[in-house]
Amino acid sequence: MWIKRLLFSALAAAFLLPAPSQAQERRQITIGISQFPSTFHPSIDAMMAKSYILGLTRRPLTVYDADWTLICMLCVELPTLENGQAVLTELEDGRQGVALTYRLLPEAVWGDGTPITSADAVFTWEVGRHPQSGVSNAELYRRITEVEVVDDKTFILHVDRLTFAYNAINDFNLLPAHVEREAFADPAAYRQRSLYDADPTNPALSAGPYRITEMRHGSHVVLERNPHWWGEQAAFERIIVRAIENTQALEANLLSGQVDMIAGESGLPIDQVLAFEQRHGQRFQIHYQPNLSYEHVDFNLSDPILSQLPVRQALLYALDREALVQQLFQGRQQVAHGTVHPLDWVHAEDVPVYEYDARRAGELLDEAGFRPGPGGIRRDAEGRPLSLTFMSTGGNRTRELVQQVLQAQWRQIGVDVRINNEPPRVLFGETLTRRRFPHMVMFAWISSPENVPRTTLHSESIPSEENGWAGQNYGGYANEEMDRLIGEIEVELDREARREKWRRLQHLYAETLPALPLFFRSDAHIMPLWLEGVRPTGHQYPATLWVEEWRVRS
Amino acid sequence: MLRHIFSRLIQSAVVLAVMSFVIYSLIGLMPGDPVDLMIAHTPGLTAEDQRRLRELHGLDQPLLGRYLAWAGNVLQGDLGYSRLQARPVLDALLPALGNSLILLVASLAVALAIALPLGVLAAMRPGSVFDTFVNMIAFAGISMPVFWLGLMLIVVFAVLLGWLPAGGVETIGGGGLADRALHLVLPVVTLAVAGTGQYVRHVRAAMIEILRQDHIRTAQAKGCSRRRIVMHHALRNAMIPVTTILALDIGAMFSGALITETVFAYPGMGKLIYDAVMGNDYNLALAGLLLATAMTLAGNLLADIAYAWLDPRISYR
Amino acid sequence: MMDGLSRRQGSPAARAIKRFRRHRLAVAGLVVILLLTLLALAAPLLEAWRGVDAEAVNLLARNASPSLAHPLGTDELGRDVLARLLRGGQVSLAVGLAAALVAAVIGTAIGLVSGYLGGRFDAVIMRLTDGVVALPLLPLLIVLAAADPAKLGLAPDLLPPEAQGVLRIVLIIALVGWTTVARLVRAATLSLKTRDFVRAAIAAGAGPGRVMRRHILPNAASPIIVATTLSVGNVILLESALSFLGLGIQPPVPSWGNMLTGALDQVWTAPSLAVWPGLMIFITVLAFNFLGDGLQDALDPRSEDH
Repeated sequence: MWIKRLLFSALAAAFLLPAPSQAQERRQITIGISQFPSTFHPSIDAMMAKSYILGLTRRPLTVYDADWTLICMLCVELPTLENGQAVLTELEDGRQGVALTYRLLPEAVWGDGTPITSADAVFTWEVGRHPQSGVSNAELYRRITEVEVVDDKTFILHVDRLTFAYNAINDFNLLPAHVEREAFADPAAYRQRSLYDADPTNPALSAGPYRITEMRHGSHVVLERNPHWWGEQAAFERIIVRAIENTQALEANLLSGQVDMIAGESGLPIDQVLAFEQRHGQRFQIHYQPNLSYEHVDFNLSDPILSQLPVRQALLYALDREALVQQLFQGRQQVAHGTVHPLDWVHAEDVPVYEYDARRAGELLDEAGFRPGPGGIRRDAEGRPLSLTFMSTGGNRTRELVQQVLQAQWRQIGVDVRINNEPPRVLFGETLTRRRFPHMVMFAWISSPENVPRTTLHSESIPSEENGWAGQNYGGYANEEMDRLIGEIEVELDREARREKWRRLQHLYAETLPALPLFFRSDAHIMPLWLEGVRPTGHQYPATLWVEEWRVRS
Repeated sequence: MLRHIFSRLIQSAVVLAVMSFVIYSLIGLMPGDPVDLMIAHTPGLTAEDQRRLRELHGLDQPLLGRYLAWAGNVLQGDLGYSRLQARPVLDALLPALGNSLILLVASLAVALAIALPLGVLAAMRPGSVFDTFVNMIAFAGISMPVFWLGLMLIVVFAVLLGWLPAGGVETIGGGGLADRALHLVLPVVTLAVAGTGQYVRHVRAAMIEILRQDHIRTAQAKGCSRRRIVMHHALRNAMIPVTTILALDIGAMFSGALITETVFAYPGMGKLIYDAVMGNDYNLALAGLLLATAMTLAGNLLADIAYAWLDPRISYR
Repeated sequence: MMDGLSRRQGSPAARAIKRFRRHRLAVAGLVVILLLTLLALAAPLLEAWRGVDAEAVNLLARNASPSLAHPLGTDELGRDVLARLLRGGQVSLAVGLAAALVAAVIGTAIGLVSGYLGGRFDAVIMRLTDGVVALPLLPLLIVLAAADPAKLGLAPDLLPPEAQGVLRIVLIIALVGWTTVARLVRAATLSLKTRDFVRAAIAAGAGPGRVMRRHILPNAASPIIVATTLSVGNVILLESALSFLGLGIQPPVPSWGNMLTGALDQVWTAPSLAVWPGLMIFITVLAFNFLGDGLQDALDPRSEDH
C-alpha cells in the first residue's frame, strides 16, 4: 500500500515540476546530433556533424540549396558563360579551360570585422593545393591553375578543364588569411596549428550568423550570435549542439528535455524515429526528408555466378522492395531503380523497372542452370547449391533488418543467402576496398545533386593492387559505353544534351545491373512544435546554412 | 621488501614496453587506415588524394619503423598529436582522465559504503535469511547487463520522472558543483550496482574465512563480545583480501566503464580509447591504452605490496 | 583417519553433494540451467511442434502482441519471439560454455606449468598474465573479426559464416579470459607441490608431467570448476555488452545479447521485446552465479561445520 502511495506522489511531483525548456523564453535551442566532429577545419576530413555545425558559423561561396539548385552565398552572382563572368580559355596543351570571375559580397566580413577579400581566396588556394596541408579533397584546388586578383572583392579562378559544373566551387572553403597565415608558415604543421582546432572559439574564424564560444571535445559546442554577421539576424541568442552517440540515449535526452531537437543530417536511424513517432508524434514535428544516399547491394562481378546478368536480374526480381519499404519504413523511404534520385532533374522517368516477380526470377535462374534441389535450394548442373554470402556493416540496426528481409525473400526463389557482417571499419577499411567480399555487400553512397559516378562506375576506378587500391568501383564493373558516357557527361555543357546522356546512363545501369538498387534513404528530423522555418535539404549541405530563417512559432 | 618492490617496478616497466609494442601492432594489424575510413564519407576522393594523404600521415611506412619513431618521441616526452581530436594527445587525455577518476572514485565509494556493512552483517550469520537475501541482491547486481540497467535508469529517472539529467557532465552554460553532482548520479549508480554486488561477495567471503580462524575463536572463548570481535579483529583482517581485490580492479574499472560512458554520453577514458581505436587514431589510442595498462600494473603491484604489508605472515626474500 | 571420517559422513564426494544440496539457491540455479539447456536443445523440436519457424520473416505481422500462435508475440520482422528466444538461448549458452571451457583449459595448463616449474619461467608467465589482463579487448576483437580464417589454416568452406562468427567470439573471450583460472591454478600448485604426497611422488621417480597430471591437477580441481562455472555467466554478459557495441554475435544468428540490443531501439513501442531477452540473460547469469557459489561451498572442505 505504501508503495502505491509513494509512486503516486512521485508521479505527481514529476508532472507538477515544470519542464525546463518551457520555463525559459525561447532564446536558445539545443540540438542533438549523434557524432562529434574530429576537426573544425572546413577542408580537412569530411563528415556530416562538422558540416552541420559549420553551417551555423560559415557560408560557402557556392552551394546547393534545399531545391537542389546551385546558388551563391558569399558571392554576388554565379559566373556563367551566358552572363560573361565565365570565359572559355585555351590551355598550353590545347585543352579547354575556363576562367571564372567571382565577386564577393561587399558587406561580407569575418567574425572580427575584417572584410573577406580576394587575398583570402588566394590563401585558401595556396593551402588547398599544398600536398602537406592535410586537405582531404584536393582535386578542386589542383584543377585551379591560378587565382587572379582583380580587386579586393573580385578574383578570377583559372581552371584547367571545363565541366558542366564548372561554376560550382562548393568545396572552395575560404579561410581567413589574416589569422591563419601564421599557422601555415610551416605547411607540414598546418593541420596541428590551424586556429580551427588550436583556437576554435577565435571570432575571426566565423563568417556566418553564429560563432563558436565554447567547445568541449566529444560533448558539445556552444554558439552565440556573431555581431559582425551581415545578413538577417537569427532568432536564437544561443545554439547548443550536443553530441550523443548512442541513439537510444539521444532519444532519451530528447524526451527528458535536455535536447530540443535532433538533426536529421546526423541523427536517429529512421526505424527508430518511426517507432518514436507512433508514441510521441503529437509532441514533436517529425519531418522525413528524401536524401540522396543510395542504399544498394554491390555485386562482386568477378564471381562466376554473379557475373551472369540473368542471375543478377533474378535476384532483383525476387525482391518485393515496395513491401519492404512500406512495412519497414512506412513508405517514408523511396524505392530506388538506379543511382539517380527521382528528385534530381536528370532523373529519367522511362528507365526499365524490375517489379517484384518471383516467377520471372525463378525462370531466369532455371535458364541459368540453377534447378530447384533438396531443401528448396537451387543447385547447378554439378549439384552445387546456389549459396551466396551477403555482407554489410555490423551494428547498423536498420541494415540488419533489411538484410534479413532480403534473405527471406531470396530464400523464396531457392537462393541460400548467408549473412556475414563486419564492423564498418573492417568492411570499409579492407573488405570492400580490397574487393575481398565473395558475393554481395549492402551499403550506401552519399552524393550530391547531378553527381557523375566516375569514382563508382568507371572502369578506371576498380581498386586493384596496381593502382594502390584506389577507386570505389568495388564490384569491378567495366563497361565501355558507361566509361564513355561518364566522360561525355562531365564535359557536356548543354543541359538538354546532358539530360539525354544521363537518360542513357540510367538505362544502361538498369540493363547491365552493376548493383541492386534498393532505396533512397530519408533523413528523419525531429523538431519541437514551436520551431518553424527549418528547410532540410537531403544532401550534404545541411539545413543550418539557412539558420537565419529558423523562427520561434508565436 | 624494498628490493622486491624495486624488482617488480623494473618488471612492470618491461611489461609496459612490451605491451606498447603489442598494442601498436594490434592497432596496426587492424584492417584499413584513416584514409580508407575517409573514403566512406567522401566517395569523390581521387586516387591521387588517397596516396597523398597516406604519405602525409606516414601510413606508407612499415609498422616497425613507425613504432620506433613513435617510441623515440614518447621517450622525449612527446606523446604526439591526436588526429581524431585535432589537438595534442595530452590535451585530449587529461580531461577524460579527470572525468574517469571522478566517476571511478564516486562509484567505488558508493559501492563500498553499501557493500561493507551488508557483507559484514551477512557473514555474521551465514545461511540465515538475511544472508540469503544479501546474497541474492549481490548476485542480482552482478547479473544485469550494464547497458540495459543504464538505459532503464534513464527511462525511469530522466524521462518518466524527470528528476535527473539523462546524460552529459553538466548543464551546458549553467554549471556549478550541485549540477555536476546531479549529472553523476545515474552513471555512478549504474557502475555501483555491479560493484556493490562484487564487493559484498568478497567482504562476506573474507569475513566468514576470518571468523573461522583460531585467534578469533580464542577471542570468543575469552569472552569478548561478538560485536567487538567483528569490529576489532575480523574486519581488519578481512580488509586484506578486499583491498587486494580493489587494487587489482582499478585498472579494469578505469578503462572498463566504456558502456556506462556510452549510455550516459560521459566523456571518460573508456569512450576515448574506444573511439581512438575505432577511428584509427594511433597516438591517442596508444597513450590511452598504455595509461590503462600502467594503471592495471600499478594496481597489481599495489595489491602485492598491500598484501605483504597488511599480512605479516608473508615475507619476501 | 580417512576411514573414520568416511564412516561417519560418507565419501568426500558424497559429503560435497550433501553440502551442495543444502545450498538451496545453488540447487535452484542448477535446475534453472538444466531446464534452459533442455529447452534450448529442444528448440527445433518445439518449433516443429508449434508449427513456427524462428527465421520466417513476415512483414505483415510485425510487433504483434502475444497470441495463441505466438505466446510472446512477434518481433520487428514478424518472427516468433518465443522461438527466437530459444534459438538465442542455444547460441548464448553455447558461447558461454565453450568460451569458459576453452579459457579454463588454457588457464589450467598455463597455471600448472608456471606454478610447478616456478623460478624465472613463473615470473615471466605471471607478468605475461598481467599483460593479458591489461590487454585491450577492442583492437583484439577487430583484428580477429577481420582475420581471414583461410590464412589461419582453417578451411572457410568447412563452416558456414554464421558459425565462424560464433567461433570468433568464443576464441576472443577465451583468449583474454584464461587469466583468472591460471592465477588460481598457479596458487594451488605452489601450495600443493610442497605437500608430502607430491614430494613422495617426485622422490618415487615420477616425471613432472605425471606429477602435474596425477597428483596436482585433481587436487586443484575445485577452484577450476568454481571459476569456470562463474565465468559462464560472465561470458554471457560480455557477449551482450559486445552486441551493444555492435561487435558481438551478428544477426541473423540470434543471441540474447543481440536480441536485447536490437529491442532497445523500440523500448517505447514494444517494451516486451526488451523484457524477454533481458530477463533470460539475467536469470541465466544469476543461475550460474548461484551454482558457482554453491559449488564453492560444497567443494571447500573447510565449510564442513556450517
